[in-house]
Amino acid sequence: MQPLPVVQKDEAVPELRLGDVPLRQEVELISIDLPADQAEPLLERGVLPGCRICPVRSSPGGDPIVSVDGSLIALRRETAACLCVRLLTRFQEAT
Amino acid sequence: MPSLAIDPCVSCSEHREQSLVRLGLSPDKWDYLIALAGNPNVGKSTVFNQLTGLRQHTGNWPGKTVVRAEGAFGHKDNRVKVVDLPGTYSLQAGSVDEEVARDFVLFGRPDVTVVVVDATRLERNLNLVLQILEITDRVVVFLNLMDEARRHGIALDPKRLEAELGVPVVPGTARDGQGIDALLDTAHEVAMGGRTTAPYRPERQAPEVERAITRLVPVIEDVFDDVPNARWVALRLLNADEAVQEAVRSGELGQLSREDFDEERPVPEPEDRQRVLDSATRLRWELPPDFHDLVTEHAYRAAEEIAQKVQKRGLAKAGFDLDRKLDELLTSPIFGFPLMLFILAVVFWLTIEGANVPSSMLATLLIDNVHGWLSGVATSMGTPWWLQGFLLDGVYLSTAWVISVMLPPMAIFFPLFTLLEDFGYLPRVAFNLDSLFQKAGAHGKQALTMCMGFGCNAAGVVATRVIDSPRERLIAIITNNFSLCNGRWPTQILIATIFIGALVPAELGGLVAAAAVVGIALFGIVMMFLSSWLLSRTVLRGEATSFSLELPPYRPPRILQTLYTSVIDRTLIVLWRAIVFAIPAGAVIWLSSNIMIGDLSIAAHAVEWLNPMGLLIGLNGVILVAYIVAIPANEIVIPTVLMLTVLTTGVAGGEGAGVMFELDSVPATGELLRAGGWTLLTAVNIMLFSLLHNPCSTTIYTIYKETRSAKWTSVATLMPVAMGVTVCFLVTQVWRLLAG
Repeated sequence: MQPLPVVQKDEAVPELRLGDVPLRQEVELISIDLPADQAEPLLERGVLPGCRICPVRSSPGGDPIVSVDGSLIALRRETAACLCVRLLTRFQEAT
Repeated sequence: MPSLAIDPCVSCSEHREQSLVRLGLSPDKWDYLIALAGNPNVGKSTVFNQLTGLRQHTGNWPGKTVVRAEGAFGHKDNRVKVVDLPGTYSLQAGSVDEEVARDFVLFGRPDVTVVVVDATRLERNLNLVLQILEITDRVVVFLNLMDEARRHGIALDPKRLEAELGVPVVPGTARDGQGIDALLDTAHEVAMGGRTTAPYRPERQAPEVERAITRLVPVIEDVFDDVPNARWVALRLLNADEAVQEAVRSGELGQLSREDFDEERPVPEPEDRQRVLDSATRLRWELPPDFHDLVTEHAYRAAEEIAQKVQKRGLAKAGFDLDRKLDELLTSPIFGFPLMLFILAVVFWLTIEGANVPSSMLATLLIDNVHGWLSGVATSMGTPWWLQGFLLDGVYLSTAWVISVMLPPMAIFFPLFTLLEDFGYLPRVAFNLDSLFQKAGAHGKQALTMCMGFGCNAAGVVATRVIDSPRERLIAIITNNFSLCNGRWPTQILIATIFIGALVPAELGGLVAAAAVVGIALFGIVMMFLSSWLLSRTVLRGEATSFSLELPPYRPPRILQTLYTSVIDRTLIVLWRAIVFAIPAGAVIWLSSNIMIGDLSIAAHAVEWLNPMGLLIGLNGVILVAYIVAIPANEIVIPTVLMLTVLTTGVAGGEGAGVMFELDSVPATGELLRAGGWTLLTAVNIMLFSLLHNPCSTTIYTIYKETRSAKWTSVATLMPVAMGVTVCFLVTQVWRLLAG
């Protein structure tokens, strides 16, 4: 496996959306930018701010499958674009 | 039953066989009531089956138990009733299944609620546990799938979890029956009050919320003096939860404290109850605007904290590797769709080929032998010809047809479908097709109900309960009919073999015919997308809601159990419904072809009257009449067509007016149909019309039951007919134009 890129965790890091994260890059969820009724099903499935989330595949139609807390969850692209995430540094990743 | 409590070997499995007396379906009386709750896909139904000995179908896709199932068993001299609730992620009552689950925990007064928890996904599962703990004290947590957790390198400490949650925690693996004894004993203790619990309740909310709660709680306690958890009620009222508001309004809330629920408590005065609601409404104004999010996040944080205290994750992820490889293949951008088509084709092929022999054996037995024998008996008893004709030729024969045509393919299709389901393939299909469904404005889970429809549309319509959004659920219900169901396959195959297979050399005939049938099924899928799209652009306007679907781990299907359950709870139920509807159809067919008006029977009049209309759309009067009388059961279309063809053309053959029959050989059937004026165009059109016409009466009835709306039932019934007539008309006109 390729070494993960080392990113300094500071204010200069631009905000990322889950939809822009390359496959197999584990990230941390910062916030869910969706109305409560649409965010709820995600929260229920363990997609919570602060959790580690990793896109593992994308569907024939280009929608992502992400891995959260050991389970696989299929999202729609539009939903992935509403999840603000940030990259983890290598040291955090190791824990 | 003697008491076995002092037996020294109470914990071994032999003992369980004795102490656990499976009572099957729900008894009239019970000593205590267990509610089984849990997230989807955590093995709740497996626990239920272990307890009751029932073989409720357990499927590997979220939302399998769409209605609650009930069962019972005897344990330690007690009759215990178990209610299996639909799997839900929360009790927010956002969808039909969540509502069912929540209402039962709240108002069903279970003596103990067993929450089945997936040990490999503790954090997420705990969220539901905490919500249930807020409602009731009498909870036992069953930590299921401990074997999978071990395989995935997750170490759990059940004792620690027990201490954190304040209710008993029993670890086990329900599939192998591990932990079921302990679960039973613990549930028994809790239900009988032998063990008191001190459930964890998230203490402090955000300050503003906490202030509102402390002001509302005294009001609630004042009115409902013994409500078990006024804090929870307060929070739900502040959240404007309709079910709880209604419980306050009706006074039902006061009946919830269940220590002595034999005696009804006095219901508080209406003005007092209104006072509670008014205070809640007033306090709601003082809450911060993101109040709902605050409360939700608070709950999830608590679940996360507890989970982290009790589990350790190792690095072993070997178990996921195979899953990942499979997913790479099955949801691959390149192979995903072809593999899906291939699997679909294999399932159809196995169904068609495998059903041939048993179908003809059943037909020989029921139609040739038993019918002949019954007729002989009736004649020798001197039964009048009209009674014999009505009962044997009408009612008996139509039932016999339905059984012999429908039973074998269903007995093959449903188990195959169930195996795919158990294995975990169906959610992947839903995932693959989701982007298409999204473009059509429909829900991704519609893929699941569509697949189900290939077996039986009525079953597909019921399955739409897994879709939360009412708009998207209606679309799924209305368009389910475009999945070519088992009742319609035989017509497709027969006609394709006679007219389309005959176009090519004999050795290719079978293959071409099969391809034509798969083509029709695919055309059905296209029409389903098209009509979903049209509906969501017109009468059911709206954006597709955001959609997320859990892809469960692949699990090896249990072949024998699958065979048993899918035969019992799908095949036989569907078959029974079909028979019930086929009986009146048989009666109508016989009567209409034997009651004469002038010198023609009613059926002949109808055929003549509908013939011009039929010819216009490339069919004929016989086919239209057959489709009208076959509304109750699509299986009898072909026998009815043959009978009516003989009746109206006077071609030699057949068994007499009103007697349905099928010819022994396919070529002979072809000759008869050609004599009746059929051409290749008729064949193409009947295949299209068989796909695009009204659902059978069982399905129509099911649609009405599910939607409770005459309007949507009519739309679901008439829309496909209109499409069928249009498509057939267009095909016919273009065909005739091209043929010159």
